[in-house]
Amino acid sequence: MHLTVNGSPREVDSQRFPTLLAALRDQLGLTGPKLSCGHGECGACTVRLNGDLVYACLSLTAACEGAQIETVEGLAAGENLHPLQQAFITHDATQCGFCTPGQLMAAAALLERNPSPSEEEIRTAMSGNLCRCGTYPKIVAAIRAVAAGANG
Amino acid sequence: MSAGDKKGRFVQTTVEVEGRTETRVVELPAFEPTPWTADAPLTIVGTSPLRTDAFEKVTGRARYTADTVRPGMLHAVLVRAPIAKGTLNALALDRARAMPGVRGVLGPGDAPPGTRLFRRDISYAGQPLAAVCAESLLEAERAAHALAASLDLTPAPHAATVEDALASDAPSVRSAGNATAPAVVERGDVTRGLAEAEVTVTREYRTPVALHSALEPHGAVAEWNGDQLTIWESTQGIFRVRNDVARALGVPQAKVRVLKDYMGGGFGAKNGAGAHTYVAALFARALGAPVRCVNDRRGEQMDTGNRPATVQKVTLGATRDGTLTAVALEAWVPLGISGWEGGPAQIYHEMYSCPNVRTSEVSVYINAGGMQAFRGPGYVEGAFALEGAMNALARTLQMDPVALRRKNLATHDERTGRPFSGNRLDECYVEGMRRFNWPSTVHRPPSTVTRAKRGIGMAAETWPTGGGPPSYANVRINSDGSVDVLAGTQDLGTGARTIFAQIAAEALGASLASVRTVIGDTERLPYTGNSWGSMTTPSVGPAVRMAAEDAKTHLLAAAAPMLNAPIERLSTRDSQVCVDGAPALAFSDLCRRLGNVQIVGHGSRGPNPELAIVTVGAQFAEVEVDTETGVVRVLRIVAVHDAGRIINPALADSQLHGGIIQGVGYALFEERHMDRARGVPLNANLHDYKVPTMADVPVIDALFLGGADPAANHVGARGIAEPPIIPTAPAIAAAVADALGVEVCALPLTPWRVLGALAG
Ligand code: FES
Ligand code: FES
Repeated sequence: MHLTVNGSPREVDSQRFPTLLAALRDQLGLTGPKLSCGHGECGACTVRLNGDLVYACLSLTAACEGAQIETVEGLAAGENLHPLQQAFITHDATQCGFCTPGQLMAAAALLERNPSPSEEEIRTAMSGNLCRCGTYPKIVAAIRAVAAGANG
Repeated sequence: MSAGDKKGRFVQTTVEVEGRTETRVVELPAFEPTPWTADAPLTIVGTSPLRTDAFEKVTGRARYTADTVRPGMLHAVLVRAPIAKGTLNALALDRARAMPGVRGVLGPGDAPPGTRLFRRDISYAGQPLAAVCAESLLEAERAAHALAASLDLTPAPHAATVEDALASDAPSVRSAGNATAPAVVERGDVTRGLAEAEVTVTREYRTPVALHSALEPHGAVAEWNGDQLTIWESTQGIFRVRNDVARALGVPQAKVRVLKDYMGGGFGAKNGAGAHTYVAALFARALGAPVRCVNDRRGEQMDTGNRPATVQKVTLGATRDGTLTAVALEAWVPLGISGWEGGPAQIYHEMYSCPNVRTSEVSVYINAGGMQAFRGPGYVEGAFALEGAMNALARTLQMDPVALRRKNLATHDERTGRPFSGNRLDECYVEGMRRFNWPSTVHRPPSTVTRAKRGIGMAAETWPTGGGPPSYANVRINSDGSVDVLAGTQDLGTGARTIFAQIAAEALGASLASVRTVIGDTERLPYTGNSWGSMTTPSVGPAVRMAAEDAKTHLLAAAAPMLNAPIERLSTRDSQVCVDGAPALAFSDLCRRLGNVQIVGHGSRGPNPELAIVTVGAQFAEVEVDTETGVVRVLRIVAVHDAGRIINPALADSQLHGGIIQGVGYALFEERHMDRARGVPLNANLHDYKVPTMADVPVIDALFLGGADPAANHVGARGIAEPPIIPTAPAIAAAVADALGVEVCALPLTPWRVLGALAG
């Protein structure tokens, strides 16, 4: 199986790693996406597949031939953090940080689709990503800051 | 600071852990720094520098337990009981052992007795019966499925509820009886207090079983090197895990090293070693390879603890002017198969001034996973009923609920007779009312939407947050002037790393950027206790400060001859030694000149004063109820709490948000549902056990009053993490009652329950 992960061509074994999450974490060592529920209930494993948001725990590796995958590890451009990453730092939008990689991927997809979402649109678009620590108000603030071009 | 017995170096002191009072012996510290009072000129403590580990978290570089990979690592999976009670007759261990990739299996009789694992007698659904270890997680899961399918079981009658367990023909849940004798605590005379009352209210409240549901499941990686065991564990207490494992496996504590770097939340469920820990350690020893064992979500929701349900019958008596004359509680708490006996009673003794208080609690054992402390254990459940009854009393008296509470403000801890170290609850009420614009703010909905009704409500809390000994810390200054804070504590996502760097930088006069906090290693770091009971900051903070002050003393002694000035004229600021206040020698230059002479300061947490140390607060809620669908939406929460000094206001905000949002979940959605007939949880996942999403979050206006509590400890800070969840649900329930004109006395406030109440 050939994939492009964060811009680099990679090979994965869909027999040994049937879910995209297992392939990313256990074969490629990309542990940014997390396994929390394994059943598409929490969003901790959120990555982008050909630009779309997917729960990697529910995505079959075998169905990903030739796909472009982006994980949190690919958000920054080299040393330069993605504006959302910077805003999550500035607005203290992490507590334990376990949901953070998924939140960032969901937020990045939202802002590409809709560069200036309303608060209501943010809340709806992000409601597939649970945060048990309850960091939501600060995540909203961080996304709004980036949307307003006021990150940092 | 006073302590029970000051005669020797070792004295007795009391420490409140998760609302339970413990007596401890503690060695007096070599010195106690002068307390930081409210007007102490602090420049780093009390500010909000960014979380020191935020970069790792936003880049995906933060390593959690399940991200730990060791060379040649194997994967272990548990097989759990699918029935609530019965006997395991047989299972196909040999067949599983022969499956592809499988390296080992463990079943009945294979675990040391200390682990209490793999018993044939089943007493709850989710109980570990066997485990498989394989080269990949997939192979281990396949073998575990095969084993699960092979279970030969004889089910036996079980008890899934309080009623089942107390029935005359109830099956025996445990040999010592299904229920404890009532634990009665009384002050004054409640019968007399009720006779003196002009008004009484009696209500029966029910609270659900709530599940911690941290996004990171419990997990461990174990690796043996000869007879030395290293464990990476997602835990709130590395030293407790070490001691649990050493005891269970019969090895010396010195042979067990527990490491914890990042963890994805705990909320009280991760306070010791679990089945996953023992299984990883046992397989790793038997197979000579590192082993990772992480709970799947189903196992996590079934077998890692819960906030137990309660039934609370409350009676309040008062005179017409609202003065409480009696508070009475009868409570039943189904703990599951194990847990702390004693539940919601304590807040009834502490929250209000009342001469006559009587509580009676019966702990009931049922065939379900055992309880574990869950953020504000006991007080969350107790506050729902006590505060609900207070709001009912206010309605009966036609009195403002805030006025009723201010009338009965506790001036000291009437349970222990101790004065408060500090308690600004009355200011919390006043500031909360101001922010909420209480009580005149109900925005009645537009007239076209008549089915939507709005209401407001409020509730209050108290929670013991003194922390205490033992806790130790070292502060080490490196030869380039950089500083390491060393303490064997844990950061659950609270920001402990950041807080201790701030305290050390402040006390040492170092720049914050030069200080790093090293935590989470039982082998290399000094002991601190578990991160529970909102204890980490008030327990470890003073030890860190003392260590930094000690290091500063050594530093100045070294600087004095270099600067040709007496120590009295020296001070420190921003990593510089100053003479008469003027920077004269950078720490880096000083330490370079010292070469490998290392400056290490030692700190320890002294005994607690004989005071009641509590974090108090009040919350105000506004809700909208759709009277056709029964859906409750929380529109806004105003929260004002007093916890003494706030080390980092931004981090404290996150604790407020987190507690309130979990409180919204407890109020509206969260409930473990049991199939009563089978005794198996029906919603052991994150879809049917619904925790709040971003769309459920109200507008939150929350703050701590600040200031300082120098009587509590010399840092002036009390604990903050648990109090914010305590009053949220009762405030929301009060707002719903205000909107509907009917009380709903059970949680969660689901649509069917709301509609049921409306239908009468
Ligand atoms: S782990 Fe994929 S959605 Fe929860
Ligand atoms: S920060 Fe802990 S789950 Fe979101």
